[in-house]
Amino acid sequence: MTDTESAASFAEPQLDSPLPVGSENEPVSAKPLGLWADTWRRLRRNKLALVGLGIIIVFLVIGVAQIIAGVTGIHGGYLAPYNPNAVNYTIAKAPPSLAHPFGTDYIGRDVFSRVLVASRISLLVGVIAVSIALALGLALGPLSGYYGGAIDSVIMRVADVFFAFPYILFVLLLVVVLGPGFRNVFIAIGLLSWASYARLVRGTVLSIKTQEYVEAAKAAGASDLRIVFGHVLPNSMAPVYVAIAMGIGGAIVTEAALSFLGIGVQPPTASWGNMISDYLNYLQAGQWWMELFPCLALVITVFGFISFGNGLRDATDPKLKE
Amino acid sequence: MYGYIARRLVQLVFVLIGVSIITFLIMFLIPGNPAYLLAGKNATPQRVAEISVELGLNKPIYVQYGRFVDRLVHGNFGESYQFERPVRQMLQSAIPNTAQLAVAAVLIELLGIPLGIYSALRQYTIWDSTLTTTALIIWGIPVFVLAVFMQYVFGVYLGILPFYGTGGSTFLWVIPADWNNLSHLILPAVTLGIIEVAYISYMQRASMLEVIRSDYVRTARAKGLPERSVILKHSLKNAVIPVLTIAGIDLGALMGGAILTETVFSRYGVGLMVYNAINARDLPVVVGGVLFATFVYVIANLVVDLAYAYIDPRIRYE
Repeated sequence: MTDTESAASFAEPQLDSPLPVGSENEPVSAKPLGLWADTWRRLRRNKLALVGLGIIIVFLVIGVAQIIAGVTGIHGGYLAPYNPNAVNYTIAKAPPSLAHPFGTDYIGRDVFSRVLVASRISLLVGVIAVSIALALGLALGPLSGYYGGAIDSVIMRVADVFFAFPYILFVLLLVVVLGPGFRNVFIAIGLLSWASYARLVRGTVLSIKTQEYVEAAKAAGASDLRIVFGHVLPNSMAPVYVAIAMGIGGAIVTEAALSFLGIGVQPPTASWGNMISDYLNYLQAGQWWMELFPCLALVITVFGFISFGNGLRDATDPKLKE
Repeated sequence: MYGYIARRLVQLVFVLIGVSIITFLIMFLIPGNPAYLLAGKNATPQRVAEISVELGLNKPIYVQYGRFVDRLVHGNFGESYQFERPVRQMLQSAIPNTAQLAVAAVLIELLGIPLGIYSALRQYTIWDSTLTTTALIIWGIPVFVLAVFMQYVFGVYLGILPFYGTGGSTFLWVIPADWNNLSHLILPAVTLGIIEVAYISYMQRASMLEVIRSDYVRTARAKGLPERSVILKHSLKNAVIPVLTIAGIDLGALMGGAILTETVFSRYGVGLMVYNAINARDLPVVVGGVLFATFVYVIANLVVDLAYAYIDPRIRYE
């Protein structure tokens, strides 16, 4: 952190209010910074978080390009130098070279192309699984926090049950029941992670619903629905954005783990997880490139989300503001 | 305190009932008739019908649920389709390996506490940023990737440690009694431990930073206490306790079987047992493993919560 910025004359938001309101003691700049401008100002000082953001952007660009190619069928449905599933025994097990920067695998498929195309699975899992969880969490959490009482008890006790299951084992059980394959992986991860979003939103709603502006909205005759979704929820979202970043990283790891165990995405469709398990024997035989690159892709992507998520938490957490 | 214990116990009962309902529904909804699986490939329709009656599959759903809970309460998890052995017996042979791994991993992860504290006390120095960056990078490594890496480097490439299986004998189930046992433990334990060290040190740093910026620590400094006593007497305990609860919950989670680590290292614990059962579509074993893991996890959470409430009275009155 640089000296000029730690002695900032910015209007810091109040500890308990996410809205940037200048208090009498602090000089107010001509135009108060919005919540996001303020967050961005803090985030910018955190180099790790910026690295994370950069990784996420690269991952998104590659992943979205693959999805578009897959949906439209342009270039055979993939955006990579080679067809990721094209078998060519004559060049099998070739170490990295200019033509094949990540080498080729045991049946001559280009590892670089497979790693690129597999990003679409990770992106889809991250986005869809987290969306399912988020939709459930954002519907149930505010209800629970705003109304309290019996609704709150029922929702939170059900959430307790979902928290009681060891995550990966329960996802496994669900996938066994639903059958392997990648749609079921989305569903299982999504169904299992709603509880943490619900609990998170409930907590922030609880702390916000007693604020004066909520009372003012009530006095003005706004309906409950409008108060919850129009006033309370938008001001409860900062921790949720952090949870989304972490959650996407988590979902990507979970999909990779399931595919690694052989019950997620099924070969020959490339996913980082199933490549890691598929190429394991060749690592032990010294053909390291097959194993290394999918591992690196997975580790770097997950690092991006965790590092950005952590940075975002630090930037939005009022307790950490100096 | 008694009120709090009573409330938590009631909550525990609700959670266990919920867990049993969800698990039962999953088994109930699973496609395929378990009677066919149990009867084998060439079974006659009569045999299948007999087994259905034996399993109570012809009864209404609530009767089946009642029987399911009744069996669970008596510690009966059913019988493996694949080995025709009680699941309970299989669990009993797998638990010591899992427990040994869990204890060892948690002991390793506690190293994160001093690292995190050191980082917090030296905030914004080169040490702090190096430790924090390393922690973030390691935290993001999926456990099976690290397991594969450790197995390759120390087991295959350097060849200094066995990289699969279990061996040797133990003392009191978990304490290695010989090198053979210990050497098989090192790689899986370090794999699990390192990732948790990263996580714990990150959390410990955050917790310590929060404490040393709090008002009572400022007061302690203001009244002229030496820095040593401010840190050791006033800050340390409050900063470490929340992190210790993470370690406690980890222990509970790992006791239920580290499925990925155990699978990579072919270490026969609860996790590998469940993994094998999944591949064999051996449902009673999968469900038995999941229920065992859930039970241990819930109990660990309860113990941690009670201990926390005992240490920190604010929790009891929430």
